[in-house]
Amino acid sequence: MTMTLVRRPGLARVRTKRAPLYVISAGFVGLVVLVALLAPWIAPHDPNAVELGNALAPPSGDHLLGVDSAGRDTLSRIVEGARTSLLGPLGVVVFSTVLGAAVGVAAGWRGGWLDSVLSRGSELALAFPGLLLAILFVAVYGEGLMAPVVALAIAYFPYVSRLTRSLVLAERERPYVAAYQVQGHSDLQICVRHVVPNIAPVVLAQSTVNFGYALIDLAGLSFLGLGVPALTPDWGRMVFDGKSAIQSGYPLSAIVPCVVIVLTVVAFNVVGERWADKVAGRNR
Amino acid sequence: MPDNLLEVAGLCRAFGDVKAVDDVSFTLASGGSLGIVGESGSGKTTTARIVVGLERADAGTVHVQGRDRTGAARGRAARLARARQVQMVFQDPFLSLDPRTSVEAVLRETLKLHFPGTDHAARIRRLLDQVGLGTRAADARPRELSGGQRQRVAIARALAVEPAILVLDEAVAALDVSVQAQILNLLADIREQTAVGYLFITHDLGVVRVVTDEVIVMRHGRVVEAGGTADVLARPSHPYTRLLLDSVPRPGWDPHAIATARRAL
Amino acid sequence: MNTLDIKGLRLRLPNTARPVLDGVDLTVGAGETVALVGESGSGKTLTSRTVLRLLPRGAVAEGTVAVAGDDVLAMDARQLRTLRTRTAAMVFQDPRAAINPLRRIGDFLTESMRLNRIMTASAAEARAVELLDAVGLPAGTLHRYPGQLSGGMLQRVMIAAALMGDPALLLADEPTTALDVTTQAEVVALLTDLRQRFGTGLLFVTHDLGLAAAISDRVYVMYAGRVAETGPAEELFARPRHPYTAALLGSTPSPSSEGPPPRRLAAIDGQPPDLREELTGCAFAARCAFATDLCGREAPSATPAPGVPAHRAACHHSDALAGSRLEGKSVDA
Repeated sequence: MTMTLVRRPGLARVRTKRAPLYVISAGFVGLVVLVALLAPWIAPHDPNAVELGNALAPPSGDHLLGVDSAGRDTLSRIVEGARTSLLGPLGVVVFSTVLGAAVGVAAGWRGGWLDSVLSRGSELALAFPGLLLAILFVAVYGEGLMAPVVALAIAYFPYVSRLTRSLVLAERERPYVAAYQVQGHSDLQICVRHVVPNIAPVVLAQSTVNFGYALIDLAGLSFLGLGVPALTPDWGRMVFDGKSAIQSGYPLSAIVPCVVIVLTVVAFNVVGERWADKVAGRNR
Repeated sequence: MPDNLLEVAGLCRAFGDVKAVDDVSFTLASGGSLGIVGESGSGKTTTARIVVGLERADAGTVHVQGRDRTGAARGRAARLARARQVQMVFQDPFLSLDPRTSVEAVLRETLKLHFPGTDHAARIRRLLDQVGLGTRAADARPRELSGGQRQRVAIARALAVEPAILVLDEAVAALDVSVQAQILNLLADIREQTAVGYLFITHDLGVVRVVTDEVIVMRHGRVVEAGGTADVLARPSHPYTRLLLDSVPRPGWDPHAIATARRAL
Repeated sequence: MNTLDIKGLRLRLPNTARPVLDGVDLTVGAGETVALVGESGSGKTLTSRTVLRLLPRGAVAEGTVAVAGDDVLAMDARQLRTLRTRTAAMVFQDPRAAINPLRRIGDFLTESMRLNRIMTASAAEARAVELLDAVGLPAGTLHRYPGQLSGGMLQRVMIAAALMGDPALLLADEPTTALDVTTQAEVVALLTDLRQRFGTGLLFVTHDLGLAAAISDRVYVMYAGRVAETGPAEELFARPRHPYTAALLGSTPSPSSEGPPPRRLAAIDGQPPDLREELTGCAFAARCAFATDLCGREAPSATPAPGVPAHRAACHHSDALAGSRLEGKSVDA
């Protein structure tokens, strides 16, 4: 089961059997989500307030993680940035899961020509690099979170649909499905009421893993200056903003968002893989 | 009203080059019980699945109470009418129930579909009682139940539809001997209480003797022998039937002679 | 010296209230066939697996399990490997699940001999051909894949593989359950032949009383981790001294009994005791027609039948059973 979830072996190889890693990761995910929800109340400074005289200041009591080259408090921008940085991937995951699950269930359940058309279609989408698609969308639709999110959702849905299709194919062979057919239930009822809920945990676990990937892809786009508008606090954008300061010997304002991105991505991956393992080993 | 509950004529089904079912015909009298006996690959399960409607026949007809059910069912009404003709109990009680659905929900779902607007709670209690499950089992999920209990749930689910025919596909093969006897007794009771006819698919001649009036023996997709169960078991006329009977182990049994007879056949 | 000698075997699993195996005594003499009969959860499979020390995770075993005189439970890793490759071998229930589908039959047969340096590759291959011949398969089978063979043929391959190390003891765990009845007869014929030819002791684990009666010299009937009854096969089936054995015999439908078929079988009501509950007294008491207060209080110990010391039953009321089968009591409803 893990095999179908493995896309980027470097991260997937973080073994998730040991409980402490999972507990820490789940805790970190919870913390990040909480911070994003409470951002306006817990950020110590206005994330866009500029104190030019204080630019590139090291950590101090007032600025716990220092100040960036434009004189903005790094901690406040990290806290506020959690909102955009999590909202984007959430959009990607929701869109790609809904679309991918719909396509996968339709292809797996109906089979025949519909399966061929849908599967070939998703393979086509799979062949197109996600980031390139996103850049194309941003070029056409301009700045904003929507264009890259939709583009990445399109790039991600084939992974979900492929997984869903294979799960549906296995599930529909189970005798309980035949039992419902014999009882006179329509195929649509059986599919919606029984097959989909039974495969949902695995699909959702894959989506959790996808969340991490989407986060890093979106951060990459922000780093390239695509997507979120210039002044919006966003982790990827912060790395881009801090890049020039690294060259002048002040790496902190770029490294902090980097570390936060990596930790969040790893945490989401660990949690997702762990859920997938749990679901796969579930006693039926 | 025709005398026969089920009439199957000239049934054929091929998978590639293999003729899984080859010109199979039989009838099941009202309230009767017919056994289909055979080993793996005999075509007995495919025959059952065609009767139930899970598999399509290449040729031949299936009539239940005089009505043809060979083609595909069109529409909700036709689907429900077909379901009330034939119900099925599957071999593996561990796989034939949705692992997420509680016993009560399984029955309620079926009752809602077939008998909307009736008192489901009372009917569920009666059904559970009929198959020897207490109301305590109603909230249980399949994994909390033993194999025998699950098979009782599967039988209750089939009976909920009030079918004319119950197809039992190796329904006791996966159970322990003592539990198997409980279920066979239950099936005997149900047959006495209701007018349901049984089509009993099995490889076990001992089980056939207990639950069926008539039997057909299948081999390589064909019917090699048919007749009253007691007759066929006491005086088998086909060498394959005799081989099957001799193969059942008992004290003083000679496996070498059977092995030789099997090669000769 | 017995090929297999189990004394007071007790096996505990984590999260259970009582031992899964509770004081099992069992012997298999040289060249003897012994059947171990029971329903699922009775501990019959665990007993046979303990002989190769194939224990579930977290299991704690007490007692002795001696194979050809050596205690399996006290062996170190090297001795255990020798035991599994040479002294004792197992034939599993589902041959298709027990053979790697991607390897040729020849690899499967010779692998453990080659890897453990018991024979050279060519000697192992010669032995494999010889044994394939003994189980009635052509030498060409060596070059075929498991997917190309039928279930019955694969089970013969399994038996040949088990005999590769010329074991003193063969453990067969429901070796015919996954097979058709006519194929079962062939495999059983083969096992009895090989036993005579190689002098191997055979412990045959099965749920099928008829099969046990047909092939074995002695029988052990297990219930809830204990041996309920043991004795010579014919004696035990003709005159059972434990109500459980009698009830099992009564609930097995036979295709060939005289007279009209019974409308109802003598089913055993209820279910075997749960592992999560402790047991006081006789494990079968709750389902037993003969049970008295004594049965609920005190676990019966095995007592020999009058005149037949080898026939022992763990029941307080063996004599009340009077050696009759319960089948006679099942009346037409």
